[in-house]
Amino acid sequence: MKNIVEIKGLTKKYLNKTALNNINLNIEEGKVVGILGPNGSGKTTLIKILAGLLRQTSGEVLIDGKNIGVDTKSIVSYLPDRNFLYKWMKIEDAMNLYKDFYYDFDEKKFNDILSFMKLEKNMKIDSLSKGMHEKLNLSLILARNAKLYILDEPIAGVDSVARDQILDAIINNYNEKSSMLITTHLVRDMESMLDEVVFLKEGNIILTGNAEALREERGMQIDDIYKEVFGE
Amino acid sequence: MFKYMKYEVRGTYRYILGVLSLVLILTTALYIYFNRVTNTSSEMSALEGIFIGLSVLILFGTALATFLYIVGSFRKELYEDTGYLTFTLPLTGNQIVGSKLVVALIWFIFLGVVIGLYNLIMMLIFVPVEVNFSELFSALFEIVNIKQILFSVLLIILSIVNILVIIYFSMTISRVTFRNKRIGGLWFILFLVLSGLIIYGGVKISEIFPYYIDINTFKIGTMDTLDKLYMEINDDIVLSADMDILTTNIASTVYMIIVTVLLFLGTGYLVEKKIDL
Repeated sequence: MKNIVEIKGLTKKYLNKTALNNINLNIEEGKVVGILGPNGSGKTTLIKILAGLLRQTSGEVLIDGKNIGVDTKSIVSYLPDRNFLYKWMKIEDAMNLYKDFYYDFDEKKFNDILSFMKLEKNMKIDSLSKGMHEKLNLSLILARNAKLYILDEPIAGVDSVARDQILDAIINNYNEKSSMLITTHLVRDMESMLDEVVFLKEGNIILTGNAEALREERGMQIDDIYKEVFGE
Repeated sequence: MFKYMKYEVRGTYRYILGVLSLVLILTTALYIYFNRVTNTSSEMSALEGIFIGLSVLILFGTALATFLYIVGSFRKELYEDTGYLTFTLPLTGNQIVGSKLVVALIWFIFLGVVIGLYNLIMMLIFVPVEVNFSELFSALFEIVNIKQILFSVLLIILSIVNILVIIYFSMTISRVTFRNKRIGGLWFILFLVLSGLIIYGGVKISEIFPYYIDINTFKIGTMDTLDKLYMEINDDIVLSADMDILTTNIASTVYMIIVTVLLFLGTGYLVEKKIDL
Protein backbone atom coordinates (compact mmCIF):
# COMPACT_ATOMS: atom_id res chain seq x y z
CA MET A 1 0.00 0.00 0.00
CA LYS A 2 1.22 3.51 -0.87
CA ASN A 3 2.56 5.78 1.84
CA ILE A 4 0.71 9.09 2.18
CA VAL A 5 3.34 10.41 4.62
CA GLU A 6 7.06 9.66 4.45
CA ILE A 7 9.34 11.07 7.12
CA LYS A 8 13.09 10.44 7.03
CA GLY A 9 15.57 11.65 9.65
CA LEU A 10 13.31 14.49 10.80
CA THR A 11 14.89 16.72 13.41
CA LYS A 12 13.49 19.96 14.79
CA LYS A 13 15.59 22.04 17.12
CA TYR A 14 14.73 25.24 18.90
CA LEU A 15 17.49 27.36 20.39
CA ASN A 16 18.46 25.05 23.23
CA LYS A 17 15.93 22.27 22.87
CA THR A 18 15.51 19.35 20.49
CA ALA A 19 11.77 18.93 19.92
CA LEU A 20 12.10 16.06 17.42
CA ASN A 21 15.16 13.89 17.16
CA ASN A 22 15.82 12.00 13.92
CA ILE A 23 12.28 10.72 13.41
CA ASN A 24 11.59 8.10 10.75
CA LEU A 25 7.96 7.31 10.06
CA ASN A 26 5.77 6.18 7.17
CA ILE A 27 1.99 6.36 7.20
CA GLU A 28 0.05 4.23 4.76
CA GLU A 29 -3.02 5.37 2.87
CA GLY A 30 -6.27 4.55 4.61
CA LYS A 31 -4.81 4.22 8.11
CA VAL A 32 -5.79 6.03 11.30
CA VAL A 33 -2.63 6.67 13.25
CA GLY A 34 -2.47 7.88 16.83
CA ILE A 35 0.53 9.96 17.84
CA LEU A 36 0.60 9.39 21.57
CA GLY A 37 2.64 11.08 24.22
CA PRO A 38 2.49 13.43 27.18
CA ASN A 39 2.68 17.22 26.87
CA GLY A 40 6.02 18.34 25.49
CA SER A 41 6.78 15.04 23.77
CA GLY A 42 6.88 16.63 20.28
CA LYS A 43 3.41 15.59 19.00
CA THR A 44 2.29 19.08 18.07
CA THR A 45 5.69 19.94 16.59
CA LEU A 46 5.45 16.89 14.33
CA ILE A 47 2.02 17.70 12.99
CA LYS A 48 2.73 21.40 12.65
CA ILE A 49 5.59 20.45 10.34
CA LEU A 50 3.17 18.28 8.35
CA ALA A 51 0.64 21.13 8.21
CA GLY A 52 3.28 23.57 6.94
CA LEU A 53 3.35 25.78 10.03
CA LEU A 54 6.85 24.79 11.18
CA ARG A 55 10.04 24.07 9.23
CA GLN A 56 12.25 21.13 10.04
CA THR A 57 15.84 21.73 11.04
CA SER A 58 16.88 18.68 9.00
CA GLY A 59 15.41 15.59 7.38
CA GLU A 60 12.84 14.97 4.69
CA VAL A 61 9.07 15.16 4.98
CA LEU A 62 6.84 14.18 2.06
CA ILE A 63 3.07 14.11 1.81
CA ASP A 64 1.72 12.26 -1.22
CA GLY A 65 5.28 12.35 -2.57
CA LYS A 66 5.55 16.16 -2.37
CA ASN A 67 7.55 18.47 -0.14
CA ILE A 68 5.45 20.49 2.28
CA GLY A 69 4.03 23.55 0.53
CA VAL A 70 0.99 24.93 -1.26
CA ASP A 71 0.27 21.59 -2.98
CA THR A 72 0.28 19.58 0.24
CA LYS A 73 -1.81 22.21 2.05
CA SER A 74 -4.56 21.65 -0.51
CA ILE A 75 -4.79 17.94 0.30
CA VAL A 76 -4.30 18.12 4.08
CA SER A 77 -7.21 18.92 6.37
CA TYR A 78 -5.72 20.20 9.59
CA LEU A 79 -7.41 20.74 12.95
CA PRO A 80 -5.21 22.87 15.22
CA ASP A 81 -5.53 22.76 18.99
CA ARG A 82 -6.84 26.34 19.09
CA ASN A 83 -9.56 28.63 17.74
CA PHE A 84 -8.08 29.57 14.42
CA LEU A 85 -11.09 31.14 12.68
CA TYR A 86 -11.36 34.91 12.18
CA LYS A 87 -13.35 36.50 15.02
CA TRP A 88 -15.55 38.61 12.71
CA MET A 89 -17.01 35.51 11.07
CA LYS A 90 -20.29 33.72 11.45
CA ILE A 91 -20.30 29.96 10.94
CA GLU A 92 -21.62 30.52 7.41
CA ASP A 93 -18.64 32.75 6.59
CA ALA A 94 -16.26 30.05 7.78
CA MET A 95 -18.05 27.53 5.56
CA ASN A 96 -17.77 29.88 2.57
CA LEU A 97 -14.07 30.35 3.21
CA TYR A 98 -13.51 26.59 3.17
CA LYS A 99 -15.64 26.32 0.02
CA ASP A 100 -13.59 29.06 -1.65
CA PHE A 101 -10.17 27.63 -0.83
CA TYR A 102 -10.58 23.86 -0.79
CA TYR A 103 -11.89 22.15 -3.90
CA ASP A 104 -12.61 19.03 -1.82
CA PHE A 105 -15.01 20.78 0.58
CA ASP A 106 -18.42 19.11 0.63
CA GLU A 107 -21.12 21.58 1.66
CA LYS A 108 -23.80 18.94 2.12
CA LYS A 109 -21.54 16.93 4.37
CA PHE A 110 -20.79 20.10 6.34
CA ASN A 111 -24.48 20.83 6.81
CA ASP A 112 -25.07 17.26 8.03
CA ILE A 113 -22.21 17.38 10.52
CA LEU A 114 -23.26 20.83 11.67
CA SER A 115 -26.80 19.72 12.46
CA PHE A 116 -25.41 16.60 14.18
CA MET A 117 -23.30 18.96 16.31
CA LYS A 118 -26.40 21.12 16.94
CA LEU A 119 -24.80 24.26 15.59
CA GLU A 120 -26.51 26.97 13.52
CA LYS A 121 -24.96 28.72 10.52
CA ASN A 122 -25.90 32.18 11.76
CA MET A 123 -23.98 31.77 15.03
CA LYS A 124 -21.13 34.21 15.50
CA ILE A 125 -17.69 32.71 16.00
CA ASP A 126 -16.77 34.95 18.93
CA SER A 127 -19.89 33.91 20.84
CA LEU A 128 -19.16 30.17 20.77
CA SER A 129 -18.08 28.21 23.85
CA LYS A 130 -14.89 26.12 23.90
CA GLY A 131 -16.84 22.93 23.11
CA MET A 132 -18.81 24.59 20.31
CA HIS A 133 -15.60 25.93 18.80
CA GLU A 134 -14.11 22.47 18.82
CA LYS A 135 -17.24 21.04 17.18
CA LEU A 136 -17.32 23.74 14.51
CA ASN A 137 -13.63 23.37 13.71
CA LEU A 138 -14.03 19.63 13.42
CA SER A 139 -17.13 20.03 11.20
CA LEU A 140 -15.12 22.17 8.77
CA ILE A 141 -12.17 19.78 8.78
CA LEU A 142 -14.25 16.61 8.32
CA ALA A 143 -16.42 18.16 5.59
CA ARG A 144 -13.39 18.11 3.32
CA ASN A 145 -12.68 14.97 1.31
CA ALA A 146 -8.97 15.36 2.01
CA LYS A 147 -6.25 12.79 1.43
CA LEU A 148 -4.87 13.35 4.91
CA TYR A 149 -6.62 14.56 8.05
CA ILE A 150 -4.46 15.85 10.87
CA LEU A 151 -6.23 16.35 14.18
CA ASP A 152 -4.34 17.91 17.07
CA GLU A 153 -5.90 16.99 20.42
CA PRO A 154 -9.49 16.98 19.08
CA ILE A 155 -11.09 16.16 22.43
CA ALA A 156 -8.86 18.03 24.85
CA GLY A 157 -10.61 20.43 27.18
CA VAL A 158 -14.21 19.63 26.22
CA ASP A 159 -16.92 18.12 28.43
CA SER A 160 -17.88 14.45 28.18
CA VAL A 161 -21.04 15.07 26.10
CA ALA A 162 -19.16 17.15 23.54
CA ARG A 163 -16.36 14.58 23.61
CA ASP A 164 -18.76 11.78 22.62
CA GLN A 165 -20.27 13.91 19.87
CA ILE A 166 -16.83 14.72 18.50
CA LEU A 167 -15.72 11.08 18.54
CA ASP A 168 -18.95 10.01 16.83
CA ALA A 169 -18.48 12.68 14.19
CA ILE A 170 -14.96 11.49 13.48
CA ILE A 171 -16.02 7.86 13.20
CA ASN A 172 -19.12 8.60 11.08
CA ASN A 173 -17.46 10.99 8.68
CA TYR A 174 -14.05 9.51 8.23
CA ASN A 175 -13.40 8.63 4.63
CA GLU A 176 -11.78 5.17 4.44
CA LYS A 177 -9.70 6.07 1.41
CA SER A 178 -8.06 8.84 3.40
CA SER A 179 -5.53 8.69 6.19
CA MET A 180 -5.87 10.29 9.58
CA LEU A 181 -3.26 11.39 12.05
CA ILE A 182 -4.51 12.11 15.56
CA THR A 183 -2.46 13.39 18.45
CA THR A 184 -3.81 12.82 21.91
CA HIS A 185 -2.91 12.10 25.47
CA LEU A 186 -6.48 10.95 26.18
CA VAL A 187 -5.74 7.48 24.87
CA ARG A 188 -8.62 5.60 26.45
CA ASP A 189 -11.24 7.65 24.60
CA MET A 190 -9.62 7.33 21.22
CA GLU A 191 -7.91 3.96 21.11
CA SER A 192 -10.81 2.09 19.50
CA MET A 193 -10.45 4.09 16.28
CA LEU A 194 -6.68 3.76 15.90
CA ASP A 195 -5.12 1.35 13.38
CA GLU A 196 -1.54 2.26 14.22
CA VAL A 197 0.07 3.97 17.18
CA VAL A 198 3.27 5.95 17.54
CA PHE A 199 4.55 6.65 21.05
CA LEU A 200 6.59 9.85 21.26
CA LYS A 201 8.77 10.74 24.24
CA GLU A 202 11.02 13.78 24.38
CA GLY A 203 11.16 14.00 20.61
CA ASN A 204 11.95 10.30 20.00
CA ILE A 205 9.75 7.49 18.77
CA ILE A 206 9.99 4.91 21.53
CA LEU A 207 7.34 2.50 20.31
CA THR A 208 5.34 2.10 17.13
CA GLY A 209 3.19 -0.54 15.53
CA ASN A 210 -0.22 -1.91 14.68
CA ALA A 211 -2.62 -1.22 17.55
CA GLU A 212 -4.22 -4.68 17.46
CA ALA A 213 -0.85 -6.43 17.24
CA LEU A 214 0.45 -4.44 20.21
CA ARG A 215 -2.62 -5.33 22.27
CA GLU A 216 -2.11 -9.04 21.52
CA GLU A 217 1.60 -8.95 22.01
CA ARG A 218 1.45 -7.16 25.36
CA GLY A 219 -1.88 -8.51 26.55
CA MET A 220 -3.19 -5.08 27.45
CA GLN A 221 -5.07 -2.11 26.01
CA ILE A 222 -3.17 0.71 24.31
CA ASP A 223 -4.18 2.98 27.20
CA ASP A 224 -2.45 0.59 29.63
CA ILE A 225 0.64 0.38 27.40
CA TYR A 226 0.64 4.18 27.37
CA LYS A 227 0.56 4.28 31.17
CA GLU A 228 3.32 1.68 31.36
CA VAL A 229 5.52 3.49 28.83
CA PHE A 230 5.05 6.96 30.23
CA GLY A 231 4.80 5.87 33.87
CA GLU A 232 1.45 7.45 34.63
CA MET B 1 -5.53 35.79 -4.40
CA PHE B 2 -8.83 37.59 -5.06
CA LYS B 3 -10.59 35.12 -2.80
CA TYR B 4 -8.24 35.97 0.03
CA MET B 5 -8.63 39.69 -0.67
CA LYS B 6 -12.38 39.23 -0.30
CA TYR B 7 -11.91 37.93 3.25
CA GLU B 8 -9.38 40.68 4.01
CA VAL B 9 -11.92 43.30 2.98
CA ARG B 10 -14.68 41.61 4.97
CA GLY B 11 -12.44 41.44 8.03
CA THR B 12 -11.52 45.11 7.93
CA TYR B 13 -14.42 47.03 6.42
CA ARG B 14 -16.29 47.56 9.70
CA TYR B 15 -13.31 49.32 11.23
CA ILE B 16 -12.65 51.40 8.11
CA LEU B 17 -16.30 52.47 7.85
CA GLY B 18 -16.26 53.29 11.57
CA VAL B 19 -13.22 55.52 11.12
CA LEU B 20 -14.77 57.10 8.05
CA SER B 21 -18.05 57.83 9.88
CA LEU B 22 -16.14 59.45 12.73
CA VAL B 23 -14.12 61.59 10.35
CA LEU B 24 -17.18 62.70 8.41
CA ILE B 25 -19.02 63.59 11.63
CA LEU B 26 -16.03 65.55 12.95
CA THR B 27 -15.55 67.29 9.61
CA THR B 28 -19.23 68.26 9.44
CA ALA B 29 -19.15 69.52 13.03
CA LEU B 30 -16.05 71.54 12.23
CA TYR B 31 -17.61 73.14 9.18
CA ILE B 32 -20.85 73.95 11.03
CA TYR B 33 -19.01 75.38 14.02
CA PHE B 34 -16.67 77.56 12.00
CA ASN B 35 -19.46 78.68 9.74
CA ARG B 36 -21.34 79.98 12.80
CA VAL B 37 -18.27 81.57 14.35
CA THR B 38 -17.13 83.30 11.16
CA ASN B 39 -20.59 84.82 10.76
CA THR B 40 -20.22 86.55 14.10
CA SER B 41 -16.50 87.24 14.25
CA SER B 42 -14.23 89.61 12.39
CA GLU B 43 -11.00 87.74 13.20
CA MET B 44 -11.11 85.62 10.10
CA SER B 45 -7.46 84.82 9.54
CA ALA B 46 -6.87 83.40 13.04
CA LEU B 47 -10.01 81.28 12.81
CA GLU B 48 -9.05 80.02 9.39
CA GLY B 49 -5.71 78.97 10.83
CA ILE B 50 -7.40 77.04 13.64
CA PHE B 51 -9.83 75.48 11.15
CA ILE B 52 -7.06 74.29 8.88
CA GLY B 53 -5.08 73.05 11.88
CA LEU B 54 -8.01 71.00 13.19
CA SER B 55 -8.76 69.63 9.72
CA VAL B 56 -5.16 68.53 9.31
CA LEU B 57 -5.28 66.95 12.77
CA ILE B 58 -8.40 64.95 11.82
CA LEU B 59 -6.83 63.80 8.56
CA PHE B 60 -3.58 62.88 10.28
CA GLY B 61 -5.50 60.97 12.98
CA THR B 62 -7.47 59.10 10.32
CA ALA B 63 -4.37 58.17 8.38
CA LEU B 64 -2.57 57.04 11.54
CA ALA B 65 -5.54 55.02 12.90
CA THR B 66 -6.02 53.29 9.54
CA PHE B 67 -2.33 52.66 9.16
CA LEU B 68 -1.99 51.15 12.63
CA TYR B 69 -5.03 48.96 12.09
CA ILE B 70 -3.79 47.66 8.75
CA VAL B 71 -0.31 47.04 10.13
CA GLY B 72 -1.89 45.34 13.17
CA SER B 73 -3.89 43.02 10.93
CA PHE B 74 -0.65 41.66 9.45
CA ARG B 75 0.91 41.37 12.90
CA LYS B 76 -2.11 39.36 14.08
CA GLU B 77 -1.44 36.73 11.42
CA LEU B 78 2.11 36.35 12.67
CA TYR B 79 1.43 36.26 16.41
CA GLU B 80 -2.18 35.18 16.94
CA ASP B 81 -4.18 32.02 16.35
CA THR B 82 -5.69 33.15 13.03
CA GLY B 83 -2.24 32.50 11.53
CA TYR B 84 -3.11 28.81 11.86
CA LEU B 85 -5.85 29.38 9.31
CA THR B 86 -4.10 31.86 7.02
CA PHE B 87 -0.82 29.98 6.74
CA THR B 88 -2.44 26.60 6.12
CA LEU B 89 -4.53 27.90 3.21
CA PRO B 90 -3.19 26.69 -0.15
CA LEU B 91 -1.74 30.11 -0.99
CA THR B 92 1.80 31.19 -1.70
CA GLY B 93 3.52 33.72 0.55
CA ASN B 94 3.38 36.30 -2.24
CA GLN B 95 -0.37 35.80 -2.59
CA ILE B 96 -0.95 36.36 1.13
CA VAL B 97 1.32 39.43 1.38
CA GLY B 98 0.09 40.77 -1.98
CA SER B 99 -3.56 40.50 -0.92
CA LYS B 100 -2.90 42.36 2.31
CA LEU B 101 -0.99 45.04 0.43
CA VAL B 102 -3.64 45.56 -2.24
CA VAL B 103 -6.47 45.72 0.31
CA ALA B 104 -4.50 48.22 2.43
CA LEU B 105 -3.95 50.35 -0.67
CA ILE B 106 -7.63 50.13 -1.63
CA TRP B 107 -8.61 51.37 1.84
CA PHE B 108 -6.18 54.30 1.75
CA ILE B 109 -7.39 55.36 -1.70
CA PHE B 110 -11.04 54.89 -0.69
CA LEU B 111 -10.60 56.97 2.47
CA GLY B 112 -8.64 59.65 0.60
CA VAL B 113 -11.21 59.97 -2.18
CA VAL B 114 -14.28 59.95 0.10
CA ILE B 115 -12.80 62.42 2.60
CA GLY B 116 -11.60 64.67 -0.24
CA LEU B 117 -14.99 64.67 -1.96
CA TYR B 118 -16.81 65.20 1.32
CA ASN B 119 -14.66 68.25 2.08
CA LEU B 120 -15.44 69.61 -1.38
CA ILE B 121 -19.17 69.19 -0.74
CA MET B 122 -18.86 70.82 2.69
CA MET B 123 -17.01 73.74 1.14
CA LEU B 124 -19.72 74.17 -1.47
CA ILE B 125 -22.35 74.19 1.25
CA PHE B 126 -20.64 76.34 3.87
CA VAL B 127 -18.24 78.64 2.02
CA PRO B 128 -20.35 81.65 0.97
CA VAL B 129 -18.99 81.90 -2.55
CA GLU B 130 -20.76 81.08 -5.80
CA VAL B 131 -18.76 78.29 -7.38
CA ASN B 132 -18.79 77.73 -11.11
CA PHE B 133 -17.40 74.23 -11.60
CA SER B 134 -16.26 74.67 -15.19
CA GLU B 135 -14.38 77.83 -14.23
CA LEU B 136 -13.01 76.16 -11.13
CA PHE B 137 -11.68 73.16 -13.03
CA SER B 138 -10.31 75.18 -15.94
CA ALA B 139 -8.53 77.41 -13.40
CA LEU B 140 -7.30 74.31 -11.60
CA PHE B 141 -5.95 72.76 -14.78
CA GLU B 142 -4.15 75.95 -15.65
CA ILE B 143 -2.17 75.61 -12.45
CA VAL B 144 -1.72 71.85 -12.39
CA ASN B 145 -1.99 69.64 -15.44
CA ILE B 146 -3.27 66.07 -15.54
CA LYS B 147 0.20 64.56 -15.93
CA GLN B 148 1.27 66.29 -12.76
CA ILE B 149 -1.74 64.93 -10.86
CA LEU B 150 -1.22 61.39 -12.16
CA PHE B 151 2.45 61.57 -11.35
CA SER B 152 1.75 62.79 -7.82
CA VAL B 153 -0.84 60.03 -7.29
CA LEU B 154 1.62 57.41 -8.54
CA LEU B 155 4.30 58.75 -6.22
CA ILE B 156 1.91 58.64 -3.25
CA ILE B 157 0.89 55.06 -4.11
CA LEU B 158 4.54 54.04 -4.46
CA SER B 159 5.34 55.65 -1.10
CA ILE B 160 2.45 53.89 0.69
CA VAL B 161 3.36 50.53 -0.87
CA ASN B 162 7.01 51.10 -0.02
CA ILE B 163 6.31 51.90 3.65
CA LEU B 164 3.86 48.98 4.01
CA VAL B 165 6.30 46.54 2.43
CA ILE B 166 9.13 47.72 4.71
CA ILE B 167 6.81 47.25 7.72
CA TYR B 168 5.65 43.79 6.57
CA PHE B 169 9.24 42.74 5.92
CA SER B 170 10.43 44.07 9.32
CA MET B 171 7.61 42.26 11.13
CA THR B 172 8.20 39.01 9.28
CA ILE B 173 11.95 38.99 9.75
CA SER B 174 11.47 39.84 13.43
CA ARG B 175 9.01 36.94 13.74
CA VAL B 176 11.33 34.55 11.92
CA THR B 177 14.26 35.53 14.13
CA PHE B 178 12.47 35.70 17.47
CA ARG B 179 9.38 33.60 18.07
CA ASN B 180 8.73 35.32 21.38
CA LYS B 181 5.86 37.81 21.22
CA ARG B 182 7.28 39.81 24.12
CA ILE B 183 10.10 41.09 21.98
CA GLY B 184 7.75 41.59 19.04
CA GLY B 185 8.35 45.38 19.23
CA LEU B 186 11.70 44.66 17.66
CA TRP B 187 10.07 45.02 14.27
CA PHE B 188 9.73 48.75 14.80
CA ILE B 189 13.47 49.18 15.38
CA LEU B 190 14.12 47.06 12.29
CA PHE B 191 11.67 49.23 10.36
CA LEU B 192 13.45 52.43 11.40
CA VAL B 193 16.90 51.05 10.57
CA LEU B 194 15.76 49.60 7.24
CA SER B 195 13.93 52.80 6.24
CA GLY B 196 17.02 54.85 7.12
CA LEU B 197 19.26 52.61 5.05
CA ILE B 198 16.88 52.66 2.07
CA ILE B 199 16.55 56.46 2.14
CA TYR B 200 20.32 56.83 2.48
CA GLY B 201 20.78 54.49 -0.51
CA GLY B 202 18.30 56.56 -2.53
CA VAL B 203 20.12 59.81 -1.77
CA LYS B 204 23.50 58.31 -2.64
CA ILE B 205 22.18 56.90 -5.90
CA SER B 206 20.68 60.24 -6.91
CA GLU B 207 24.07 61.84 -6.21
CA ILE B 208 25.87 59.31 -8.38
CA PHE B 209 23.27 59.51 -11.18
CA PRO B 210 21.96 63.10 -11.03
CA TYR B 211 19.60 62.71 -13.99
CA TYR B 212 16.01 63.79 -13.69
CA ILE B 213 12.97 63.40 -15.90
CA ASP B 214 10.54 66.23 -16.39
CA ILE B 215 7.09 64.71 -16.26
CA ASN B 216 5.52 67.41 -18.41
CA THR B 217 7.95 67.29 -21.28
CA PHE B 218 9.61 63.88 -20.67
CA LYS B 219 12.94 65.61 -21.14
CA ILE B 220 15.90 64.16 -19.29
CA GLY B 221 18.77 66.15 -17.79
CA THR B 222 20.44 67.31 -14.62
CA MET B 223 18.54 69.62 -12.30
CA ASP B 224 20.42 72.64 -13.70
CA THR B 225 19.76 71.90 -17.36
CA LEU B 226 16.12 71.03 -16.72
CA ASP B 227 15.66 74.23 -14.78
CA LYS B 228 17.01 76.32 -17.68
CA LEU B 229 14.96 74.35 -20.15
CA TYR B 230 11.87 74.94 -18.16
CA MET B 231 12.44 78.62 -17.93
CA GLU B 232 12.97 78.81 -21.67
CA ILE B 233 9.85 76.86 -22.51
CA ASN B 234 7.47 78.37 -20.08
CA ASP B 235 9.07 81.69 -19.35
CA ASP B 236 7.15 81.52 -16.12
CA ILE B 237 8.87 81.91 -12.79
CA VAL B 238 5.92 80.44 -10.81
CA LEU B 239 5.97 77.16 -12.66
CA SER B 240 9.70 76.79 -12.36
CA ALA B 241 9.23 76.98 -8.59
CA ASP B 242 7.23 73.76 -8.86
CA MET B 243 10.17 71.89 -10.32
CA ASP B 244 10.44 69.41 -7.46
CA ILE B 245 6.90 68.18 -7.99
CA LEU B 246 7.29 67.86 -11.72
CA THR B 247 10.65 66.16 -11.86
CA THR B 248 12.00 63.00 -10.37
CA ASN B 249 15.43 61.47 -10.15
CA ILE B 250 15.33 58.50 -12.50
CA ALA B 251 17.91 56.34 -10.74
CA SER B 252 16.49 56.76 -7.23
CA THR B 253 12.92 56.10 -8.45
CA VAL B 254 14.05 52.90 -10.20
CA TYR B 255 16.03 51.99 -7.05
CA MET B 256 12.95 52.57 -4.86
CA ILE B 257 10.80 50.38 -7.13
CA ILE B 258 13.43 47.61 -7.16
CA VAL B 259 13.81 47.76 -3.35
CA THR B 260 10.03 47.59 -2.91
CA VAL B 261 9.73 44.58 -5.23
CA LEU B 262 12.65 42.80 -3.55
CA LEU B 263 11.26 43.42 -0.05
CA PHE B 264 7.84 42.20 -1.19
CA LEU B 265 9.32 39.00 -2.65
CA GLY B 266 11.48 38.60 0.48
CA THR B 267 8.44 38.90 2.74
CA GLY B 268 6.51 36.42 0.60
CA TYR B 269 9.42 33.99 0.75
CA LEU B 270 9.79 34.29 4.53
CA VAL B 271 6.04 33.87 5.06
CA GLU B 272 5.94 30.77 2.88
CA LYS B 273 9.23 29.09 3.78
CA LYS B 274 10.56 30.35 7.10
CA ILE B 275 7.80 31.28 9.53
CA ASP B 276 7.45 29.01 12.54
CA LEU B 277 4.11 29.33 14.30
